[in-house]
Parts: sequence; structure tokens; C-alpha cells
Amino acid sequence: MEVPTPQTNAPETKAGDWRNYKRLLLPPIRDLHQITVYEKHGGYQTIAAILKEARDPKEVAASVKSSGLRGRGGAGFSTGLKWSFMPPVDDRPRYLGVNGDESEPGTFKDRQLLEYNPHRVIEGILIACYAMSLKAAYVYVRGEYDAYITHFEQALADAYEKGYVGEQILGTDFSTDIVVHKGAGAYICGEESSLMNSLEGKRAYPRIKPPFPAQKGLWGMPTTINNVDSLAQAALALEIGPEVYAKIGAERHPGIALYGISGHVVRPGVYEYPTGMLMTDLIYEVCGGIRGGKKLKAVVPGGSSTPVLRADMIEGVTMDAESLRDAGSMMGTGGMLVMDEDTDMVRFLRRITHFYHHESCGQCTPCREGTGWLEKLVTRIDEGEGNLRDLDLLIELCGQMEGRTVCALADAAAWPVRHTITRFRDEFEAKCRPAVFAGADLGGDGHTGDGATVAVEPA
Amino acid sequence: DEEIQFSADEKKQIETYLNSYPEADAAVMSVLWLAQDKFGWLPPEDMKLVATSIDMPYAKVVGVATFYTQYFKKKPGQHVLEVCTCFSCQVMGGYDILHYLEDKLGIKKGEISADGQWQIREAECLGACGSAPMMQVTNGQYVHNLTPAKCDAVIATLEKGEDLPFESVTLPQDEDDLGGNRRSDAEAVVTYQTAPIAETTK
Ligand SMILES: Cc1cc2nc3c(=O)[nH]c(=O)nc-3n(C[C@H](O)[C@H](O)[C@H](O)COP(=O)(O)O)c2cc1C
Ligand code: SF4
Ligand code: FES
Repeated sequence: MEVPTPQTNAPETKAGDWRNYKRLLLPPIRDLHQITVYEKHGGYQTIAAILKEARDPKEVAASVKSSGLRGRGGAGFSTGLKWSFMPPVDDRPRYLGVNGDESEPGTFKDRQLLEYNPHRVIEGILIACYAMSLKAAYVYVRGEYDAYITHFEQALADAYEKGYVGEQILGTDFSTDIVVHKGAGAYICGEESSLMNSLEGKRAYPRIKPPFPAQKGLWGMPTTINNVDSLAQAALALEIGPEVYAKIGAERHPGIALYGISGHVVRPGVYEYPTGMLMTDLIYEVCGGIRGGKKLKAVVPGGSSTPVLRADMIEGVTMDAESLRDAGSMMGTGGMLVMDEDTDMVRFLRRITHFYHHESCGQCTPCREGTGWLEKLVTRIDEGEGNLRDLDLLIELCGQMEGRTVCALADAAAWPVRHTITRFRDEFEAKCRPAVFAGADLGGDGHTGDGATVAVEPA
Repeated sequence: DEEIQFSADEKKQIETYLNSYPEADAAVMSVLWLAQDKFGWLPPEDMKLVATSIDMPYAKVVGVATFYTQYFKKKPGQHVLEVCTCFSCQVMGGYDILHYLEDKLGIKKGEISADGQWQIREAECLGACGSAPMMQVTNGQYVHNLTPAKCDAVIATLEKGEDLPFESVTLPQDEDDLGGNRRSDAEAVVTYQTAPIAETTK
């Protein structure tokens, strides 16, 4: 069967001449994870130059801010700006928390950075520590990444050995320790305040904000939490120059993206390209299109919580916060799931609701109860036991969860439900119990109703 | 009676953990890992040992251990197959793999085989979605791009008492630029693959 491939050779995209893009974050250098190879390619020169010139830490933070780098952990907040929120130095300790929890379904990029370019991450941590004048960084990596933690710890030991980390780094009076902390399997620990509680050895319930980490973070001290990828990119931005970095990719969400593309494409994987790539370019050209010559049905752009887009919604949409917002979704983590025409969207959503129900920490009632109900109702529909009014009930439930909880997990659970149902309503309706005639007992509870939303067909 | 104690080396390791944080409680996760690696799981006696070794109330240690899925509060099978059926793995046939393993080993998810050798669990996203479907074996190695044939091979390897190799997953761009391997010290190199269209999909 010949399926036409959409033409996607738009000459000008936000990603520029991406076909000739030379990778910077995961460049094609064999054994870059080894410290000598990293050094040979300019590694640790950026932090060395900062130390040598004894640059003003605040100016280093401002420099990162001017690169336009936005966090790669999901929320897309300006990294340099976040650093500037740290209060002035006093005699209290202050900390950096490095978020390597990477548990948002569909996301698998940080893992490749930890394996293939760990020293870039370490250099980013050092720069952050310098810019915020702090002496200890905790790298929180999900426990399942056991093998990658071992790799990263080896890299860290080598960096200590060579004097890049620890006391009096490179003979200056700048000292910073980096500690790797292994998680043990809980999605919620990726949420920054949960991560802090987990690190402190408490049950990892998210904290109410404010106070924000910069005021009261780890052990009550000023703290900044950054994603692994954000820190690696901060180091890179300073190496190539913030003004150069700012010109890569989409103007308002500049820089490099590690697109983790999974699902029904011919060639899935982690790809490094500028931000602002056309979704169609990523799917049809970079990843070779849909496997088996099938048609595209849906795409989740940036991890399981970002709203799904139908195939007809992605034309001209680029991978950056603005374009995706206009299209009705979000950039998230850049972990893109591609689904072909055979995908059962109800079953797909059912598994997502199971995930969030399983991972809710149970602290807030709307989340604990809500995620349970979402799973129960979607499961019921998937098993052919649902009623049409359940669909509206689900949307209503989402409204009761969004923006009412301690952390954003409840929102993250509600968004996919809301948007998958509205965008694939036919499929959900098709799985519900058929309505026999107008005014039927649609809810199965003795009441009639729902006429407005139900297209009723005679049996 | 078996003596439940940490060795001198392990005590030194605990000392290092304690020195890594401003407060002792923060070492609890690392010491729980140490205990689980040593004893295979975390029965109450071992959690008590963890509690005394870092001077933390036992109830708090239990509170932490029960928060996380990777700490075994019940005795696990010798080999625990954590099959990812989440999100990407689900649309790539993760359930086919799960059911294949269930049939092959004669146990359902959550169960342990009568001889104590095998346990199957359904996992949430393990951060390897591009090489879906995949699984993790006993909190250790990831096995990518699962097919029934690969499941058979993994089980055969484990039955022989051999270790699974660490599979380094090459970036697609490296297949063009580096001949498909960016690490000369990798035990095994795999590429990202798309699973063939499953029987269950029409
Ligand atoms: C439920 C939930 C889970 C999260 N999981 C992660 C994660 O696994 N990794 C991550 O970097 N950020 C995660 N975040 C975002 C963090 O809270 C935080 O915003 C981020 O680490 C900040 O880093 P950045 O500014 O460098 O992106 C999560 C947020 C929520 C609400
Ligand atoms: S929103 Fe959910 S996960 Fe977040 S704190 Fe509340 S109950 Fe826990
Ligand atoms: S969904 Fe299975 S590894 Fe991410």
C-alpha cells in the first residue's frame, strides 16, 4: 500500500538549516564519556576560564540568562533567571539539586546524557554552583537508572581525581562537592519539592509553595533545582557564547533540544537538533515516517502529561513553547510519542490514567480520589461498560482536579484525559454502551438526559 | 541464627553516606539500598539494622521504604522481570511481551513461580521509551527492543546463572556518524528499533 508522505521541505523553519546541524550536546565523538576525551575536545575549559578570570558570579548567571536557555525538565522556565532568585550570600549553606529523576512517561533523554556526556553535566553543575555561590550539589537520579548511575559515578570520580570537583578547584578558592543520590522508584520524586523531601530522607510528599526552594529548600536552606539537561546546556551556552546559543533554534525558546521520539516511527530514538523543528520534519524525515507505511493518527509532543494532538493538528507546528501552546499542547520534556492509525486511543488513555493513579502520592484529596476515578471511568469505557455521560463526567472531574492541589501531578493527570477525550471523542463514544433512542437512560441510573452531547442513532 | 550485621567495609560505606549530607536521615535511601543489595530484600530485621546504623527511628525507615517501588518489602523471586507496559511501551506491544512472559513462565504479573525463580511485575515508564517494549531485570539491567525471541534468550541466560550485559543504546545520528557505536568500552550495543507490527494489531 502506497501512502503519500507529506511534503515537509519548507525552506525556512525556526530550526534553520537543521539538515546541516552539527551536534553540540552529544557530538559524534567516540568515548566522549571518558574524561581525557572530553578534555581533548575543550572540556572543563569553560569553568577553568571562569575561575581564571574570577568572573563575578552574578554576571555568570546573567550570561546564562542572556542565552535564553529555558529549563528542559518540563516547565520551560528561564534557567539564568531562576539562578538569580537565590538570595544574597550569607553564612548559611545553600544547595543545588540536580534533577535526574526522568520519570515522565515518554521521556528518555537525560539517560543518554548521563551515559554519553556525563562530564558536560558535571561542568554544568560546576558553573551553576559558581554562579550561585554554593558548595554542594546533589544529583538525584531515579533508582532504575542503576547502570547509568554507576557510569556517572565513575565520571564523577575521574573529575574529582583531576581536581575539577572538590576542594580548591583548579587551584582556586572555589570548592564544590557533588553527591549522587539514587532514587528508588517513585515518579513524584521528579517534582522539585518532593525531590527535596526524598533527598532529606523523608517520605517524598511534595511541599506547599510558597516558600519556593530559593527561600527554603533542602534542609530549609536556599536551593535551586535544575534538570540534568538544562545544566549541560548552560555549560554549552557559555562555551559557545550566550549570544551564539541564543541564535540557535526558535527565537523565544532557543537552543538545542534532545528530542526523544518513540512509538510507531521507522527510526525512533534520541535526536539532537535545534528547538523549533517542525513536527512533520521530525516524524517524516528525521524518523523516517510511520512504520509499515501506515498513516499518522496522533502525537504527544513532550511526555505523557502534554495534550495529545491529532494528525490534522500538527501541520506547521514547531517544537517550541509558543507554537505548541498555539496548537493546543506543550513542549514538556520533548519526549514525543507518535501513534499510527491502528492505535486505540481509549486504551492508550486508560494506561495513562493508571499511571497517574499509581503515582499520586495521596496527599491531596482531589488528586488521590480524582486519579482513581479517572482510571475507573476510562477503564469502564474501554471495557465497553461505559455510558456516554461518563465522558462529560470525566471532563468535569478534570475541572475539579486542575489547579487545586499541592503539586502539578493532578493537572498532569487531568490534561491528557481532557484533551484525549475532546480530540478523539468519536472513539470514546464508539466504545460506550450504545444509546437506543433519544431520551434513553444513558446513565443507566434511571434518569434520562445528555441529549445535547449525544448523537443518537436508532438501534 | 544468622547474624544480621553490616561488615566493616559496609560500615565504612555508611560513614561515607552520612558524611555526604548535613543530616543523617538523608542517608536512609542509600543505606536501604546497601541492605537490599546485601540481603536481597528488606524484611523488618534488616530495616531495623538500617535504622540503628543511622540512628533513625525504625518507623521512619519503614515509612521511607514503603514509599518506593524498588525496595522489596516482601521476598521477591530470584529474577524479577519488570515489564514496562506504560505509555510508549503500551502502544509498542508491551502487553504482548507481558503476556508472552506470563505464559512462558506460567505465572501472572505480581506472582512468583513455585520454585521462587521468577517474578513478573508490571512497570511504569522506565525511561527507555525509544527502545520499547523493554524491561528491567531485578533492579539491574535494562533489556531493550523486546521480542518473544529476545525474551527467550534473556530467560535462558538467567537460567544459566549468567549476567545480562549492559546494553548501550546508540543514538540514531551516531549510526550515520560513528558507525553505530560511540563507546569502545560498551559490553553490548543495541540500536533503537521499531517493533514489528504485532499480531494483535490488525
Ligand atoms: C509531577 C511532576 C514530575 C516531574 N518530574 C520531573 C522529572 O522527572 N525530571 C525533571 O527534570 N523535572 C521534573 N519535574 C519538574 C520539576 O519540578 C522542576 O520544575 C524541574 O526539575 C526544574 O528544572 P529546569 O528548570 O531545569 O527544567 C516534574 C514536575 C512535576 C509536577
Ligand atoms: S497533587 Fe497529587 S501527587 Fe501532588 S501532592 Fe497532591 S496528592 Fe501528591
Ligand atoms: S514507556 Fe516503557 S520505557 Fe517509557
